[in-house]
Amino acid sequence: MKKVVDVCTRVEGHGNIKILLQKDEISSVNFDLEIFRGFENILLDKRLIDTPRIASRICGLCHASQTIASCKAIESMYEVEPSNQSVLLRRLLMIGELIRSHSMHFFFQAFPDLFVILDKQPKPLSLNELIHFDPKLTSNMYELIKIGNEIGNLFGGRSVHLITPIIGGVFFSPSKKEINIARKYLQNSINNLKWIIERFQEIFSQFDPPDVYSLPNPAYMGMHNDEKYDRYNGLLRLAQNNKIIADFPVYKHSQYFDKQEDIRGIDFYLKNNQNILVGPLARYKIINDYGIDELQSYIGLFNKEWQNSILFSNVIRLIEMMFVSYEGLSILDDTELTQKNDIRPINFLRNNEGLGMVEAPRGTLIHYYHVNKKRLIDKVKLFIATEINLPIIDEILTTQSQKLYERTGDFNQIKKQAQMIIRSFDPCISCATH
Amino acid sequence: MKPSFLIESLTSCSGCISTMISLDIFPQFLEKVNLVRCSFMRDENNISENDIALIEGCVSEEKQIDILKNIRSKSKRVIALGTCAAFGGMLALSTVKEAEPISNYIEIDGIIPGCPPPSKLLGNCIIRLLENKEIILPEKNVCVDCEFRTDNIESKFMKRINKLMPREYNLDIENKDKRCFLERGILCLGPITRDGCESKCIKLNLPCDGCMGPIKNDFTSNAINFLSTVNLAKGLRKYKGIFYRYSKPKTKR
Repeated sequence: MKKVVDVCTRVEGHGNIKILLQKDEISSVNFDLEIFRGFENILLDKRLIDTPRIASRICGLCHASQTIASCKAIESMYEVEPSNQSVLLRRLLMIGELIRSHSMHFFFQAFPDLFVILDKQPKPLSLNELIHFDPKLTSNMYELIKIGNEIGNLFGGRSVHLITPIIGGVFFSPSKKEINIARKYLQNSINNLKWIIERFQEIFSQFDPPDVYSLPNPAYMGMHNDEKYDRYNGLLRLAQNNKIIADFPVYKHSQYFDKQEDIRGIDFYLKNNQNILVGPLARYKIINDYGIDELQSYIGLFNKEWQNSILFSNVIRLIEMMFVSYEGLSILDDTELTQKNDIRPINFLRNNEGLGMVEAPRGTLIHYYHVNKKRLIDKVKLFIATEINLPIIDEILTTQSQKLYERTGDFNQIKKQAQMIIRSFDPCISCATH
Repeated sequence: MKPSFLIESLTSCSGCISTMISLDIFPQFLEKVNLVRCSFMRDENNISENDIALIEGCVSEEKQIDILKNIRSKSKRVIALGTCAAFGGMLALSTVKEAEPISNYIEIDGIIPGCPPPSKLLGNCIIRLLENKEIILPEKNVCVDCEFRTDNIESKFMKRINKLMPREYNLDIENKDKRCFLERGILCLGPITRDGCESKCIKLNLPCDGCMGPIKNDFTSNAINFLSTVNLAKGLRKYKGIFYRYSKPKTKR
């Protein structure tokens, strides 16, 4: 058996492409995450009160989701519900995080590839070509990154590894001034995104995405709240071909999927063994409606080929940023946001285990903790979006590489294509190597 | 000639590099430098000659040592970006993985501490690096400018420290308790932590957990010395979460 390895670039974190050859045929291509940090081990023997800020360090892009999922898991152990104001603030922090994370991925990692994939250019835009491609696009993207960042600064105390979200709520009450600043940011975000989506459509919608990027009919998984888009609170849904497979609360997850402690990878127990996709595209596919006509009309600009391609997640990422900007504006208008914040006391531990779920920018994120008699954590399970997506990424990598190998036998082309397939899924390697 | 920069991530959360990308000066930074390698933004696997290498993340794998040595041999200056690269970082809490600061393997020319480095400090450091000057870090601890500062040594060090957070009953955002956290029985690592973060946690009425690292010596020995001077409750004396939070002692290898 022969092995060809290539290092992934323009992704967040360290990953490799591993091509296995048997008798001059490609037997498999894997997206291999080389470093494993073991946060399940790091969190052992820790006090619950200390856990969210350690969990935050799992990822410097999805830190708010990690912190908040951790807080929610612990709150379920204490059977404590944060105040409405705290929930609004948590939602705002997750909005800032999503805008920051999606815009960095879109601009630096996904966008340069689209010229190769769609317009058949020989090479992706280099960093220098990218920042000079369209000065307005560049300045709009930088502004979006800054907007996401500043929302974290305003309500979270700093932009990465937030200070204010704690168990029981968010330790912060925003002033009118801070709310007004945030409102301006989110209005700018909407204006920027309108321009970017239209520009994107102008450049790319004339092309049909190639078959290589077609999704092999996965089951989509994501959170929804009463059929509406929600990333903080709701039921998990599994859906395929616009049909609902299951709707379930997170505590029933083990009927559908689970993981072994200390072993990487998540096992799904679906009848047809479908591959699962989570993330922005899945969040849209499980409800098929953002509930805002303007956004639906942007989606209508792209044909069926687009909508069944993983490349459509680039469009969805832009539209999702716009959705959360509107959501943020309505939160900022909520009078409950400025009330005196009430952090729920955590006095009596009611359950020795708990689950917390949110939709992180890259998909469903669940933290599970169990404590011993000394109230120190003795069991941890972390369900990470990129880990859920790994099997479908590997499937596409293998089939498409095999096809290309039959046609050309050229490893450089295979590596290049594999890199672009991986990037189109926006993997968060930091999270996945938790 | 534009100065050439290399940005490398070892074992990390990418928080330092994402903080850097989010800086107001980052667009100008990209215009002013020749970025020879940065896997977050560029397709380049080779390590080439460069003026300044910024390295985020700690060393947790054997093969990272070779990468580090290679970078050292090709870089005029090597800077540890963030607390993981400078002191080992959060991974030091692991009982199975190693988390070594990069300075255990190569000579470095400076650190930009913080988890993540505070934007203002990082921005100023980058500007100084662009001007080919030395990085300037605050040489005082968090207490010096703390709004809850007390000089009453007795009250600070006699009170039994039994909490990691101002928790349980008296969490009030508007009516801040203006006393020093240590006076209130809450563990605050401000006395042994470098300033430069504008005391963001403390201003939000949460104690310092030491993410900026020490001014001198290694963090763990400072923490042990400091904790021996305060009246630490029995439960916390055995709690592993404090000691190795951002670094491991050099002897524990």
